[in-house]
This record gives sequence, structure tokens and C-alpha cells, in this order.
Amino acid sequence: MQQFGLYLGCNIPFKAPDIEQSFRKVFPKLGIEPVDLEGAGCCPAWGTAPSFDLTTWCSLSGRNITIAEEKGLDVMIGCNSCFGILSEAKHFIDTDPKRKKAVNEKLAMINREYKGTSNIYHVSHVLHEIVGIEKIKSKLKYDLSGLTVAVQPGCHTLWPSDICHIKESNPFEPTLLRDLVETTGASAPEYSRLASCCGMGGMRSTNVEKSLGLLKTKLLSIKEELNPDLIVTTCSSCFLQFDMSQPLLKERDLIDFEIPVLYATQLLALAMGFNPKEVAAISKVNRDVVIDDIQSEKRLI
Amino acid sequence: MSIQLSKEKIDEAILTIIANGGEGILQCVQCGACSAVCPGVRAGFPVLCRLLIKKLQEGQLEEIIEETSTWGCQACNRCTEVCPQGVRPLEVVFAFRRYQAKELAISTSSTLVQMTLYERGHAVFTDAQALRESVGLPGKAPTSAYDEKAQKEIQTLMDNSPMSELGLF
Repeated sequence: MQQFGLYLGCNIPFKAPDIEQSFRKVFPKLGIEPVDLEGAGCCPAWGTAPSFDLTTWCSLSGRNITIAEEKGLDVMIGCNSCFGILSEAKHFIDTDPKRKKAVNEKLAMINREYKGTSNIYHVSHVLHEIVGIEKIKSKLKYDLSGLTVAVQPGCHTLWPSDICHIKESNPFEPTLLRDLVETTGASAPEYSRLASCCGMGGMRSTNVEKSLGLLKTKLLSIKEELNPDLIVTTCSSCFLQFDMSQPLLKERDLIDFEIPVLYATQLLALAMGFNPKEVAAISKVNRDVVIDDIQSEKRLI
Repeated sequence: MSIQLSKEKIDEAILTIIANGGEGILQCVQCGACSAVCPGVRAGFPVLCRLLIKKLQEGQLEEIIEETSTWGCQACNRCTEVCPQGVRPLEVVFAFRRYQAKELAISTSSTLVQMTLYERGHAVFTDAQALRESVGLPGKAPTSAYDEKAQKEIQTLMDNSPMSELGLF
């Protein structure tokens, strides 16, 4: 079984552990063993070290990567922000010998050395490129034909493409997540704002109204163009924004609907027959109806 | 009102941005491709991407130190993808943020997370043991959150960084 170092970040283990559980259930069934990176910390988030000092950012990111290097493993990440941060830090360290020297001087203080031997993958990259669509299809218990999904790939797996280990053929028209969702039999059509930002991140902590404004525009586009049963994302930040902010927008009469949200591995876990109380238990927007539908007898393969 | 350009102020601004990791500013020709795809600009943050770079090219470093637009940057890197000049505009935005941060002109939302990062190794942390157990996971995540050795390593890196001089943790 191929091993990957599972980098959890912050949002997934502390706010959405059912997403973490979906990784732990889905990957072994697909021939991938997620190996814990014990002691890994924050990536560090954009609003912390990256906003203060480039070398400190690279040292903290580099420390996380050394934990995978010690195990001889590549890194697999479920949060797009963490993926972007660690990928960029790796790019800065690997392409600048002076930066690498400075980072390793810092890491020597804690008896660590960054070597550059581990690649950075997103969970969706491992599913699409390492596992492959056919293998996923062969492990499904339920056929999700007839469901319409609005996909939300998130920003940090797409841009800048020159630092991504796995690339979309056109990062402004991404297809990787659509492929993954359509593996289940559901349809994941193109929509006009598919690659638009959800407003989470620094924008939300700086100005929540501007953040919600972007989300509202995106949601209205999704509703009008697709009227989907679900929104499915491969970013934990996007997941939190779509899930926690739809009730806010509805409360303010800015939208008159709520669309259930799942992380992509939660959708796969449900389609594989895993227990929703473990793999899809925590959300603000109620998703009981669609989960019952996904795991209904009529869909058994 | 016309802007008085001063070579000294321009040099100071450009050198400050370069020192903070934004050397691509020298390549910018103000085409605006970055702003055309920027979600921050779309959301209404006025001084971001092209306009931020223009103000810096004109030497308006101190004049915009309190500008909050930079903290609304999502770091999405759409700008870097489309820039025809290789500026990597996000790096210029973050270089300006670093200048702001060193002067403590930071978003108030950014102060608590520095402390949490220092104490737990996580910018975002809530004690989620019961929540984790409810979905069948061990209560304690295998991260720095409950690992004193890991926390000490992260604290050592932060103590020996420019961040330690700002009194945020």
C-alpha cells in the first residue's frame, strides 16, 4: 500500500474532524495509507508568519516538511490554504540557495534539516492522479446518478501553477474536481463562476461584509445556473465559508435557499457506504436529506 | 491634486519592498492584468494589486501604511498566474504587508492568531476533543496541539525571528 504523510493543518482536525475521518476511511480502501505527521503544526497561515517575515514562514513550513522527509514520504494535504503555503515555501527554499541556508540555520536550532526530498500533494491530486478514476469507481457502493453538484475547487490548488506538483490543463477552467465528482455518477456541470473566490481567508477576517458579498454573488450564480443538490469542495476553508455563511446570508434575506455542502472525500465516503455519523456528521446547513438519498437502497450498485 | 515624485522616497519604497521579498516590483508596467482577476479588488478593497504597486512605484510608502486593503488579499495568486511581466504581484502585496506588520499596522484580527500559533503551534485552535470523539477519532489530534516538544520547536523558531520583537506573543 502506498503511503503518504497526512498533513492535517488546523481547520480539519479542530473544526471539521469528520473530514479527517473521511480521509482515514476512504484512502485505505483505495490502496493509500495515510501516515500521521506527528507534531506537525500550522502551515503557517497567511495572516501569521507569511505576513511578517519570509524566512520565518519558510522555517515554520520547512519544519512541517521535515517531519515527512524523516519518514521518507510525500506530503498529502486536505486544506487548500495549507497546500498553497507549503508549496510556496518549498518553492522559495528549493529555488534560492541563500534562503535554504537561512532556513536550515533556523532549523538547526531545533535539530532539524530541510532537504527537499518530499513533494507536496493535495488530497484531490492523490485521488485523481495516484489512485485514478477507475479504481475509485470500482470501490463505490452507491450510484449517485441524477444528483447535480456545484463544484468549488478553491484557489490554492490552482494558482500559481508553476509551483504545483500536479497541474490543471487550464487553472481558470479546472476539471479535476469535476472528474472526481462525476466518478460517483453525479453530474458536475460547468458554471460561470466556478473558479471564483468564496471570500474566506484574509478577506473574511479583514472585512466580513466584503467577504459575504463575494459568496453571495457566487451562490446566486450557482443557484441560477445549476440549482444543484449539493456543493462539493476540496478546500476546508471553502467548506467552512459555504457551510457557516449560507445561514447568515439567509437570515439577512440576501438568499432564500441553502445548499448542503460536502468535502469531496465525504462525498466519496458516503458513496462507498461509510457511516455518515463518522464521515459527514458536522455542518450548519442540514444535509440529512441528501445523505439519506445518497445511501438509499435504490442507489445500491 | 498632483503627486510630487521624489527620487529618495521612490528609492526607499522600492528598496523596502525588495527587502521584504517583492523584487518583482521592478518589472511592473502597470498593465492591470493582476487587478482584473483579483477577488480582493472585485470585493471592493481599493488599494490592492496594480494600484498598490503604482503607489509604491511613486514612493508613497508611509502614506499608505494604515491601508487595510492588503490584509484583504486572499493570497490566491491569480495575479501571479496572469502577470505577463513576471512580477508575482502577490509577493509585492505581501512584502508591503510585512512592512506594515513590522510597524504594527496590522489587521486587529491578526493579533490573536499569532498568540495561538505560539502557544499551540496552530493559528486556529479550539479544544475539539469531544467533537473528534463523536466522529470516532481519538480526542487528541496527532499534531503540535497536544505535543509539548513540537510546541517548543515552534516557539524556538518564532522566538528567533523578527516576529518576536513585536510583543504579539
